[in-house]
This record gives sequence, structure tokens and C-alpha cells, in this order.
Amino acid sequence: MDPLEQQLKQAMARIEPPADFAARVRAAGHRPSAWRSPALAAALMLLTVGGGLAWREHQGQIAKEQVMTAMRITARKLDRIQTHIKEVKP
Amino acid sequence: MRANQSMVFSLAYHLLHDRAAAEEVAQEAFLALHRSLQRIESPEHAVFWLRKVTVQRSIDEGRRRMRRPQVPLDDQPPLATVDAKGDPLLSGILRRLIASLPEAPRSVMVLRYQEDLDPSEISRILDMPVSTVKSHLQRSLALLREKLERRGVGEFGWTP
Repeated sequence: MDPLEQQLKQAMARIEPPADFAARVRAAGHRPSAWRSPALAAALMLLTVGGGLAWREHQGQIAKEQVMTAMRITARKLDRIQTHIKEVKP
Repeated sequence: MRANQSMVFSLAYHLLHDRAAAEEVAQEAFLALHRSLQRIESPEHAVFWLRKVTVQRSIDEGRRRMRRPQVPLDDQPPLATVDAKGDPLLSGILRRLIASLPEAPRSVMVLRYQEDLDPSEISRILDMPVSTVKSHLQRSLALLREKLERRGVGEFGWTP
């Protein structure tokens, strides 16, 4: 091994991690993940499904209002045409 | 875990040159080992597995940091090395030069000089032909020599 390689071995010597490293790894291992907690997972599922249903209901309401408006406009137009026909008739 | 924590942390530190990122990668490697314990056949297999996963995760983290550059909070030289012999200034320069190598030669150099592994062991960890490992070693050493000479550093330390 030449001098540069010896210097490299010294430069790349192992480094000790912080003193509390092992404790932190153990703590991270025991921390429940959000997806592993059944209660949280159920709550997130309900929120997602509930949110989806509410959104669909809201969209349905908007569509219904648009149809009603279109029908009102059509009825008014028909009334006007009918009145016009009556006026033209002798 | 204690037996391997300096190996895992040092691999990540020498590959990433950032203590905080190295801690994160080392922690992930141990948690991944814990999840895969059923597949580990022996203590030697665990060491092989940890080296492989740590190098791979460090490379992934390095790529992530290239996409989203960050300013390391702590880019200081390591506080405690297992073997603190030699010229600390030269060691710092060498660590920085190795950290600046592309990921494949950097991984080869770290496994060779930190873990004292021979080319065949390195080739198994990195899934790379032995000839490629040897070629990375030769080219990286030549490049380091050239860069050190340009900085006025001879084979035995600083030249006047």
C-alpha cells in the first residue's frame, strides 16, 4: 500500500455517530406510522369517502339548479310565442 | 446494532459529506434491516446487507439533494474518528476530494478505504464487474494524485 493509500485509510476511518443514535433508531422503530394506526387509517378513510359523497351531492345540486333555470327560460319563451300567435290570429 | 452503527454511519457520511443526512440514511438502513430480519441468514449476511443498503440509500439521497440543493447546517470535519492518526488537514482534503467524485467511483473508494474490502467484495456489494471496480480504483487514485499535486501536496504531506 503506497503513502497515498495509507493517507486515504486514515482519512476514511470510521466515525462514531452521535451518542444517542441507537436510542433514536429504537424510538423511530417503535413510533407508529400513520398508515399502521388502525384508528387513524379508519378516520382518513371516512374523511375521504365522506368528502367524495359531499362533493357528488354538491355537483348534483348545481346540475339540478341549471336544469330548473333552463326550464323556466323555455317556459317564458313558449308563453311569449303563444301570446304572439294569439295577437296575429284574426 | 452497536457493533455496526459506526460502519453504517461512516459509509453514509463519507458518501454524502453531511452529518445530518448521514444520520438519516443510517437510521433508515437500520429500520430497513429490522423489517427484513427474516431474510438475514447470519451476522456476516447482515453486515453485507447493511453495506449494500447504506450505499444504495446514500446514492439515492445524493441524487435527491442534486435535484433540490440544500445548504448543509454542519459541514464540519467529523468530531470523533475511530482512528485519528495522520494529518487532519490532508485527511479533510482527501474526504472532500472523494465526496466530489461521481457516485460509482466514490462508492468504490469508500468501500475500499473505509471498510478495507477487496475488489471482489466491492463488486458483490455494488453489483458491478470486478474489472470495473479495479478500473474505478486506479482512475480515482490517479485523479486524487493529480489534484493533490495541483494543490501542492506531495505523497508524504504538505510540500514547502
